[in-house]
Amino acid sequence: MASSAGEWSAEQIDDYEALISTTDVELLKKAWRNEKASPEILPFEEALVKRAKEQIQLMEETVDDFEESGHDPLIVSLYQMDLDRVQFLLRSYLRVRLQKIEKFMFYIWKTDTYRNRLSIEEEKFTERCIRDMGKHLEETVLSKMPDNYQSVLKQSVISEEDDMVASRKPCFNASLFLKDHVQYIWGYDLQNMRGKFPEPQLDTFVVAKCERTTRPLYLDGSRQSAGFDSRQVAIRTLFTV
Amino acid sequence: MHGRKAYELVKEFASGEKGHLKIFNNELFERVIEECNEHHNALQSLIRKMQEEGLEVQTAKNADHYGALIHHLSLIRNKRCLMAYVYNRAEIIRDLAWKVGLLHELPCEIQEKFSDSEEQYFKDHSKSLKLYMSQLSLDVNVDLVPPKDPYIKVRVLEDLGSGIILSDKSANFARHSMHFLKRTDAEQYIARGLMEELTG
Repeated sequence: MASSAGEWSAEQIDDYEALISTTDVELLKKAWRNEKASPEILPFEEALVKRAKEQIQLMEETVDDFEESGHDPLIVSLYQMDLDRVQFLLRSYLRVRLQKIEKFMFYIWKTDTYRNRLSIEEEKFTERCIRDMGKHLEETVLSKMPDNYQSVLKQSVISEEDDMVASRKPCFNASLFLKDHVQYIWGYDLQNMRGKFPEPQLDTFVVAKCERTTRPLYLDGSRQSAGFDSRQVAIRTLFTV
Repeated sequence: MHGRKAYELVKEFASGEKGHLKIFNNELFERVIEECNEHHNALQSLIRKMQEEGLEVQTAKNADHYGALIHHLSLIRNKRCLMAYVYNRAEIIRDLAWKVGLLHELPCEIQEKFSDSEEQYFKDHSKSLKLYMSQLSLDVNVDLVPPKDPYIKVRVLEDLGSGIILSDKSANFARHSMHFLKRTDAEQYIARGLMEELTG
């Protein structure tokens, strides 16, 4: 691999990126980004969270050892900084999920797809949320309403579906942030065209307003969502926005 | 009648500052509930009247049918307004639980704006969150902003006493004293207004 001093060849960059993209931190970052950007709750990354917790614990022990053994304080604070940032990612990931649950508790509980995406602890949390909210609404409003109008989810006994405010669902007609790993443009495979084709920025954040409701998109080439061709996205992001 | 009081209730809630609660308007609330019952009584008497006349309630399209329909619609509109009032206030209460810290005493000014049921809801919700965090053995409500520095400089605003044990040392928090604390330790005090961060 020939490389001029200080510059990385394309292959080296590829290797590095391939290596980086599989680290748990990158995976956690991706999960966190997806969760923040999507209005609905996504499947829980159980294995990832478990590994992240273990690694954080290991790091904490390492940092404590370093501090006690009088290691270079600059290095210690760098490790500490890194540790803090990973902890923030993990906590924020869990936090965003909890807040989605709080917002859409009845809807998530009713709809099987979403209910299956919760972790065990989140399920228990949702149950308790529903119980607390139900109790609160009962006491303040529902118990004082006339019979036939006492349901939390239905306006009255004759409603055909759950039409009360508490059972609303997340809004899907919103602008999306897409981090696009552009693989295809106009049918050219970029992997083969490297060096011969002006390369688009591979890390572009794009805001795209969807014309129809979409499912969550995983645009890293590994998990493609059905019915949404990455080529469409590439064209749309580069030439429409 | 017919949703006007309920509209006032919702408007009062919407006109407040976002994220801030006004005191629970018990009086207006009770009035709307009374109205609901009035509507219900009127509705039932109209239905009884139609049944006495031997008419099918669902299909006979006479004045009584429509009168009953209007009462029904007013009733469910009142119900929606009441539920929206309580539900949206509960949302703000949940936010407070996240920000101010769970099961800590809320400052008086906020506490007096809750109704009794809301106080209970705040406690229940805090308990649920605490239980979740203990199951994961991870504190989810610290680190609310991405960390820039591991240690920050703070000034203590209230006298908190001495010998408070933090994660790496014990400190004496006298009023106006300045400390160099770990961010995660300081966050809960800052959120409760007991300390302020010095960014200068």
